[in-house]
This record gives sequence, C-alpha cells and structure tokens, in this order.
Amino acid sequence: MIAALRSGAMGGRLSGLLLVALPVALLIWLVLWPVLQAMVGTVYFPGTGFSIASYTYFFTDAYSLRNLWLTLWVTALTSVLRVVVAMPIALYLRFRTGSIAALVQALALFPMFVPSVLVAYAFIRVLGPNGIVDTVLVALHLPKLMSPYLTPAGPIIGLVWDGLPLTLLLLLSGLGRVSIASVDAARDLGAGSWTLFTRIILPRIQSSIIVTLAFNVLGLFSAFTLPFLLGPASPEMMGPYMQRTFSDNADPLNATTQAVITFAFCAAFGLIYVRAIAKGRKGTA
Amino acid sequence: MNRREFLMAGAAAGLVASTRFAAAATRLDMYTASDANISDFFNNVVKPAFEAANPGTELNVVIARPSAALDAVAQRALAALSAKADPQLDFIEQYEPMLPAGGIEAGLWTDFQKADLANYGAVNKLAIQTAYGLPYRGSQVLLAYDATKLPREKAPKTFADLAAWIKANPGQFIYNRPDKGGSGFNFVNRVVHEVSGRDPLKFKVDNFDQATADDVLGKAWAVLNDLAPSLYEKGAYTAGNTASLQLLAQGAVTMIPAWSDQVLQAIAKGVLPENTGLVQLGDLALCGGFSQAVVPTNAAHRDAALKLADFMLTQEMQTAVIEKLGGFPGVDWSNLPKALHDKYADVIPSSIPTFPSGEWTKAVQDGWYRNVAPNISRT
Amino acid sequence: MTDLAPISPFDASPSAVARIARRAPVDWTGIAFLTGLAVVILLPLVVTAVWAFAEVWRFPAIVPQRMGLGYWQETLSRHDVWQALWLSLSITTTVTVISAAICFPAAYAFARLDFPGRNMLFLAFLSVQAFPKFGLIIATATIFLTLHLIGTFWGVVLIQLVGTLLYMIWIPVSAFQGVDRRLEEAARDVGASPMRVFWSITLPQALPTLFAAILITFVNTFYETDAAWLIGLPNVRTMPMVMISFINNALEVQYGAVLFVFLWVPSFLLMLAARRVMGADAFAKGFGG
Repeated sequence: MIAALRSGAMGGRLSGLLLVALPVALLIWLVLWPVLQAMVGTVYFPGTGFSIASYTYFFTDAYSLRNLWLTLWVTALTSVLRVVVAMPIALYLRFRTGSIAALVQALALFPMFVPSVLVAYAFIRVLGPNGIVDTVLVALHLPKLMSPYLTPAGPIIGLVWDGLPLTLLLLLSGLGRVSIASVDAARDLGAGSWTLFTRIILPRIQSSIIVTLAFNVLGLFSAFTLPFLLGPASPEMMGPYMQRTFSDNADPLNATTQAVITFAFCAAFGLIYVRAIAKGRKGTA
Repeated sequence: MNRREFLMAGAAAGLVASTRFAAAATRLDMYTASDANISDFFNNVVKPAFEAANPGTELNVVIARPSAALDAVAQRALAALSAKADPQLDFIEQYEPMLPAGGIEAGLWTDFQKADLANYGAVNKLAIQTAYGLPYRGSQVLLAYDATKLPREKAPKTFADLAAWIKANPGQFIYNRPDKGGSGFNFVNRVVHEVSGRDPLKFKVDNFDQATADDVLGKAWAVLNDLAPSLYEKGAYTAGNTASLQLLAQGAVTMIPAWSDQVLQAIAKGVLPENTGLVQLGDLALCGGFSQAVVPTNAAHRDAALKLADFMLTQEMQTAVIEKLGGFPGVDWSNLPKALHDKYADVIPSSIPTFPSGEWTKAVQDGWYRNVAPNISRT
Repeated sequence: MTDLAPISPFDASPSAVARIARRAPVDWTGIAFLTGLAVVILLPLVVTAVWAFAEVWRFPAIVPQRMGLGYWQETLSRHDVWQALWLSLSITTTVTVISAAICFPAAYAFARLDFPGRNMLFLAFLSVQAFPKFGLIIATATIFLTLHLIGTFWGVVLIQLVGTLLYMIWIPVSAFQGVDRRLEEAARDVGASPMRVFWSITLPQALPTLFAAILITFVNTFYETDAAWLIGLPNVRTMPMVMISFINNALEVQYGAVLFVFLWVPSFLLMLAARRVMGADAFAKGFGG
C-alpha cells in the first residue's frame, strides 16, 4: 500500500498493475477465457464457419423477445422499488443510534440469510392461496386475498424482499461518508429535509447509488429461483428461460446465445458505473 | 487411485471428514436427484444388500438435489471424458441419457445392450427407451383429489369426464409446467394421446416428424387452451410436482395430476389428508415413466457400477422396488414370483402407457410454453 | 458546502449525536420502521419457524393441528448436518480472507491509480456475475479436472473465490472513490507520511464500506451452491447443499424450516455485530480519527 501511494504520485502504472494482478489473473483464467470460448462458440462453428443465425433467431422470435422485455421491466421496477424502500431505512439508520435502530438494522438485513428457495416457501405459506394471510382473513370473516402467487407480482414481491439487505447495505455504506456534522450544520442554517437530502446527501452517495443499481441489474437479470417458483409460466424471465433452453430443450447453442445477449445488457449497465467512477476520479484529481 | 491421494493431501486435515471413506477398497459414487424416498431406499435397502453381495465395495449415495446439480455433474463427466480424467461419478440412479447435449455421440454413457448384464434380458421391453438408460423402477401418473369436495363416485373416469369436470368447477384444477415435473407433463401427454386416437404406440423415440407433430400438437394445444380459463387462477401452472401437491394440501384446488408413489407417500406422511382420493382414467391411463439409470463409460469403477446395475434387476431388488418403494418393477412381471404378481395385481397395472423421450418430449414441452402458457386471461 | 469540508466526516461529534437524541426523546420513526419490518420481514420467518415445529398444519387452522419436535430430532441427529456446518464455515472464512487480501489492494488501485487497461479490466469483473454459469460448466470443469481439484476443499475454495471477485472489487472501489481527497491532501500538506495518510484518513473513511463488502461476501459465499455442486461433489457437502437437498422438491417443508431456524441465531448475532462496525458512529469513535 505504501509503495502504491508513493508511486501513485509518480503515475503508479506499474504498481497499479501489480496490485490488480492476482484478481485479474484469476478472472482471466477461470472466467474470461471460458466466457470467450462460450461466446465464440455461438458464432463460429468448426467446419462450417461463421454464422449469426442464433442471434437472428432470437431477435426475430416473438416469444424470446417477450421474455427479454419482461426481464427488462421486472428488473427496472424491482431495482427502483428496492431503492425506494431501502433509502428511508438507510437514512434513518445513518442518523440514529440506540437499540431500536440496531433492531431495525438487524431486521432489515435479515433476508440476506434466507436462501431463495426458503423465501419462495415462506411466500407461498404467507401470501399464497390459503396461506397465513388468508387464514387470518377467513378467521376475521373477511374475503380472501387475491394471491400474487403465480402472477407477475409474485416474483417482484419476492425479489424486493430478498434484495432489500444488499441495497440497504450499499446505501448505508455510502451514507457512512456523509458526516452528521455537515448535515447538522446545514440544518442549523435552515435547510429543510428535502433540501438536505437532495443537496447534501445525494451528491455524496451518488457512486453508492450507481453501484447499488448495477448490482441489482446484475442479480435480477440472472434471477432464477424466485421467478421460477413464484411467477407465471409465461412469459419467462431470462434466467429460467435460459435454463430451460439449456437443459430441457438440450439446446446449448440457443441457451448460450441468450446468455450472451443478457450479458450484453448487463455490460451496458456496468459501463455506466465505470464511467461514473472515471468521472469521479477526474473530478477530484 | 491418485485422486484419492491428492484429495487427502489437498484437503485441510479434518475438514473433509468424508475422506475417511478412502479407506474402503472400492467406493462406488452413486448419485441421485430424486426425492427423499429414493435416496432413503438406496441408503437403507440397496446399500446393505449390495455391500453384502460384493465385499470390499462401498456404495456411496450422493444426494444431488436439485436436478440442476446433477446436470452440472453430468457435464463434468463429459468434460472428464475429453480430458481423460476421473469424473468422480460411477452411477446415476435416474438421468435423461439424451443429456448433456452431445453426450451419447461422444460416448459418455454405457450402452447397456452391450454391457453383458446377466439380468438385462428380463427388462420390460416397453420400458426401454434407449440402450443408454436402464429402466429399473417405474411409476405412474394418476389424478389425486380432495374427497371432501368431490365424492368418490363422482370422480372422472374418462378424459371427457375430466374435461367436463374441470369446466364445471373453474379454478379447482391445476397441473404443473410440463418440463418441470412428470405429473403435469403426463397430463399434457394424455391430451396428446386423446387427440391422436388414444394410441400411445404412435409415438416412438425414433419416429418424430415435424408435420405430424404440428398437426397433432396443434390439436392438443387447442384442447389445453380451451381448458385454460377453467384452471386455477384462470390458467396458472405450478413449477413442479410438489408445488401442485402443496396446493392440494392447502385446499386451494380440488384435483391435480400426481405421481402415484409420491402421492401415496404424501398421504402416509400426513402432508395430504387421509381422505385424498385417487383415480386413474379408464379409457386410457395417464402415462407412467421409468427411471433410467446411467453409467458413464469413463467411470473409475465402471465394473462395480455395472454390477450395481445388474443387481438392481435381480428379483430381490425388484421386489423391494414394489414393496418398499411403492413403485413398478423395471423387469417384466414374468420374471417375478407369481405370488407377488397376484398380491399387487389390483393396484399395479401390468402395462403402463409411456411417452417417448427425445424429440417428442422437446416438441411437447417447448410447444406448450409457446402455445399454451401465454394464453392467460386475468380479467 | 465548501465551508463545511474541513469537518472530518468520521469524527461525528458525540455532541451532534446527543443533540439529535435530545431533539427526539422517543424514537417514533424507529418504532414505525420496526413495526413495518416486523410485519414484512418477521411474519414470513415466524410462519416458517412455526412450520419447523408443525407436524400437521392445514387450512383453515390458525395454529398447527399437531406440533412436535420430530423433525428437529430427525434433522439435528444427522451427523452430516453438523459436519456440513463446520465445513461451510471453514470454506467461507478461507474464501473471505483470501478474497479480501487480494481484492482490497486491487480495488484501491482501480480507484486511485492510473494504469493501462484500467477501465477495461475493471469492467471485465462484471463477467463474474453477468455471465450465466451453465455456459461455463464444461470449461470450468475441465480446468479443475486437470488440476485434480474436483471433490476437494481447495477446489471449492478456488471456485468460490472467483465468485467473490466482483463484490470485493466493485464495492470497495466505490468506497475508495468516496473518500474526501481534500482531507488527504490537507494531511499531506502538514507533512503526514503517505502511510499515515492511508491509515488515519483513507482507511477509516472506507472501512464501513469494506465491512459491507466482507459481510456480503461472507454470506453470499456461505449460501453459494451452484459452483459448490459442480466442484464439490461427491466429497465436499456444505451446509446449504444439505439444506437445499432437504428443501428442494421435498414434500415436507419442515426439514428446511428446521435448518433455517437452526441458522437463525448465529445470523442474528452477526447482524447485531455488523451494526457496531457499519452502523452509526461507534466504529469511527473506535478509531478516534
């Protein structure tokens, strides 16, 4: 680290490369190389040459496009919902201490320890048909709930629940950099809550929000268990769709093509994060 | 045995406690992704008997649920084949030999017809779909219903009855997505049989042809789409056999298609109430299926694995399949004691319609997703 | 805002905290959040927990018709459950420690240093999560087969280590990025050595986020199964592998519920511990600026 800092002043080209060498080597060896092989396998066929037929098929197949579209909007909606739900909790936790705050945090982070399969089971037992909510409603002589199980709302509820901790943790760690003193000072100068939030807090946690969204997009694009167990049979999200193409249809070519397409969407989002980081660096350098 | 040594050296002492198994002369790694009753059957019934018959061999029952885990292991075996490495897999109790893609062409699975199994000749010919899978146990789909809501005498006896009942009782029937479990799949297959003259023998592993498929399946989709608005939630489909059973157990639906052994087990364990009714269609039964055991050609203990395969076909094990598992035998009834046949004659039909794996299955499953699943009305 | 900059963000003065506390003697907001979360988070978990003790529970009964400890006995008397728990903790700790050791310096480099291919390499870590695993199984298996790592402890450690790279690099980069550079420069101006600047300015500011990354990594690794199935079987069986084989397609929810409740207590303690390092200012005070 010391070396890094010193040479950082001198440009740090070599020490930078040295510091990232190990993870990058692991990445190239066990991820990038296999990914590249898989990608090439979708366009180059030994003996017959290049072909982009599987991509043409995907983008002309209404069924595949409907699945992609569903994935996109479930991803967008779920990410926004997660941030909207997590942000007030994060703000509260940042500026409050005490045992209630500790309990709130412990509770809000709890879904992290619940494996998806169990989330699905708990969901079915609670919100599912004749689940505990229905049981209570019937006992109170009220009409039963319109169960979200096997409807498009099912996986969204499950995913928001399941993803709350990660979103909260990332926002909270970003908020850790907002000093209570600066917020207090601004409040003493007469700034309202909304002004405080938009003028002082938001700018400082920008990179955290972007990284939160990036992780949400990544996770949702490949989400499998919850959409599969809680959602309707069709349209499918890309995760279950790829899995089905791969094992049930025994069609690795089209499955890998779908994988490359999802990957491209995730990479596009990753690029936004990288650009934000690069911008931040220039801004403060 | 160099992988065992490596394993001993590579694993931090005491962390991989199972390495103590390395002491056994031959450890046969047998995988299963089936439900708990099957892994219990192998641990409690097959293992002691097999080890007694083959001293020095240890049967290691490896549970690889969910099936995606087993897919990964099968792919690993294919990779091991080209890398000439030990796949650490000797026997899979139930797997689709058509997977992984390209496996059979690469010579991954053992051809049982050429494996010189002493008991192979006894296998029920109708159960053999491919030479690469060994059918050693079977089960059948039937209809399970809540007898408090549907009196036993009114339970449907033909497909027409069933369709009429579904329409007369909207929201009370559900089947699972056909690729996610055999109960829903064989319900869909029964519709395919219904629209093609109720002759299961029309569909064979090697007679797939697109024109027939378009015609027959087109009619089947029409029947299913006609039923869809009367299903649970106006056309919802569960994600597996168990999910359907749970809806039945919760009282959310009245009737589902279910595997006979699974539903019997559910009743025995109290998951389903005692008054769950079971009925099979009389005009043509819902399809059954046989578990296909596979043995990779590159298994480190292939000989022992083939011994196990042969052992599963012995009278002793086949009897256990019937008596302990509640399944159907993989061998022809003529090879089993007459007394056993008589005892179970009422419960177990001597022949079970089946649906061919491979192209037909793919066409039904993918076609269902494209033609039936999207037609849902939420109004 | 510039006039506020010199106030160090990590020395949240006790007086500031006290002032807030004085303003709101009863934490109504907290109670509201607590109630909301109790319903949304706890209810499903409590229902699951009740299932762990239920032997028969059918609609429309509010409490199970028959309760008992049968499933607990059956689950916890299994030798492999305890073995798997211990194994999981060993693997997860090893992975997290190695990952932090190699990734945090890299994250610092990505955030602060300029070197050829920086943005490209950084973006490339995305492929760890963004490319579906099934497309990589054959290639990965081949690599591990030739190294004789299939079915070994270190094989699982290696594959799970790769799975942690994205979180352990991307999250810390945002932390190092968010550190107030003016503070560092000010410290350097008054003659602090680079090492002292790093230890007393940079690290304390980044630490909450680094802890978040470690926590996420630890939990994710603990519950990771895809890679563990591929590389670990038949010898290495971790806790979630045992759990999932109990839960998946099982008719009885109870086994899963038991294992889940069984993991509750350690998780909850870990959460409360996390609050100490990540939450409000306890941590910053500990380091004393």
